[in-house]
Amino acid sequence: MENKELFEGKPVLEFDNDYARRNFIKWAGIIGVGSTLAAAGATNRFSASAQGGGDLDILNYALTLEYLEAEFYKQGVAAGVVSGREEELIIPIEAHEAAHVAAITATIEDLGGQPVAAPGVKFPGPTFKSRDAFLETASTFEELGVTAYHGQVTLIENVDILAAAASIAGVESRHAAVIASLIGGNPFPAPVEDTATMAQVLKAAQPFIK
Amino acid sequence: MNRRNFLKGSATAIPATVALQMLGGRSFAQTFSSDIDVLNYALTLEYLEAEFYRQGNEASLLSGVEDEYLQQVGADEDAHVALIGDTVSKLGGTPVSAPAVDFGESFSSRESFLTTAHVFENTGVSAYLGAAGFISNKAILQAAAGIFGVEARHAAVVGSVLGLKGEGGVYMGNTETPLTASEVLAAVDPFVVGPAGVAGVTATL
Repeated sequence: MENKELFEGKPVLEFDNDYARRNFIKWAGIIGVGSTLAAAGATNRFSASAQGGGDLDILNYALTLEYLEAEFYKQGVAAGVVSGREEELIIPIEAHEAAHVAAITATIEDLGGQPVAAPGVKFPGPTFKSRDAFLETASTFEELGVTAYHGQVTLIENVDILAAAASIAGVESRHAAVIASLIGGNPFPAPVEDTATMAQVLKAAQPFIK
Repeated sequence: MNRRNFLKGSATAIPATVALQMLGGRSFAQTFSSDIDVLNYALTLEYLEAEFYRQGNEASLLSGVEDEYLQQVGADEDAHVALIGDTVSKLGGTPVSAPAVDFGESFSSRESFLTTAHVFENTGVSAYLGAAGFISNKAILQAAAGIFGVEARHAAVVGSVLGLKGEGGVYMGNTETPLTASEVLAAVDPFVVGPAGVAGVTATL
């Protein structure tokens, strides 16, 4: 995942509060993304076991990505830069991402965990100014989301959580393919979905943390 | 729909009534006894899809970007057949052979080709999701999940070129829905000629 692909190299993630920031840094520490981040988070870091297990951490990781997507589409749809058939295909995505946030939050609570707070996000100025910028950024988000989910498949321990995560990941694949088709990209880049580790996904986001 | 028996081979045959009791309605319990069984189930579906697109694309019903998309979908299904067949062999199993198929009037028009493709793809998505819980080997699970995601891409794009509505056509809800093996085999029954099926699985007909 090339950093430059993301948001023209401009900041995206802004943490509203220390709790959200700590949680992001916690994952970075667990998986060893960058010595600076890990060191900065060391005093606040939970261990995976202290949170109740790896699945909860994975769910909170997914929740953060879903929060980002949900806010992205909320702002994008509100900006009104897509219309007609394109709008008809984008509006359900906004609803899906919001539903994913709710579903993952509920799952974490059911498991006795604490859902992370929504990160504050700030998208680069041009993101919602044009149809092209919106859809190209959406494509980057969706492809990143797909590889993020597929990167966790073998790490999820609980079979019910795996099924729930897979049922969401499939929808993200639909989004990725539809948006690719709208921007003239390749909706089927490979016969099998690619994976990205948590480290790779977080590394892609790291330069954008304020 | 007739009550065709989808059991494959007498050695693994289970009377339909017993199989249905084992399945317990929509229960997912005890459908597959090994990863090889799951893979051969997936292979049967991939054979169906691959042959469907081979015939459909040969019929020259599409043009332009639609044709490009469906050619790529067909190539993906071929890749899935090869990948799953190789994996069964590497595990020491015997890949099932391709079922005999008859797609009826599916290739009489662009719309019927794409409409049938849409059904196949969505069935495939639900089949993989319903079978995922039976896979014990993590590497196989990773590959199956990766194929599942691509089937979801196919389903969405085929729905999109058909001009179906966004929700309930291109997308099938907030989450994908699993189907049991018996439900999936019943769904593909109209396209399969003669006895075809998977070890230990009967179609709910």
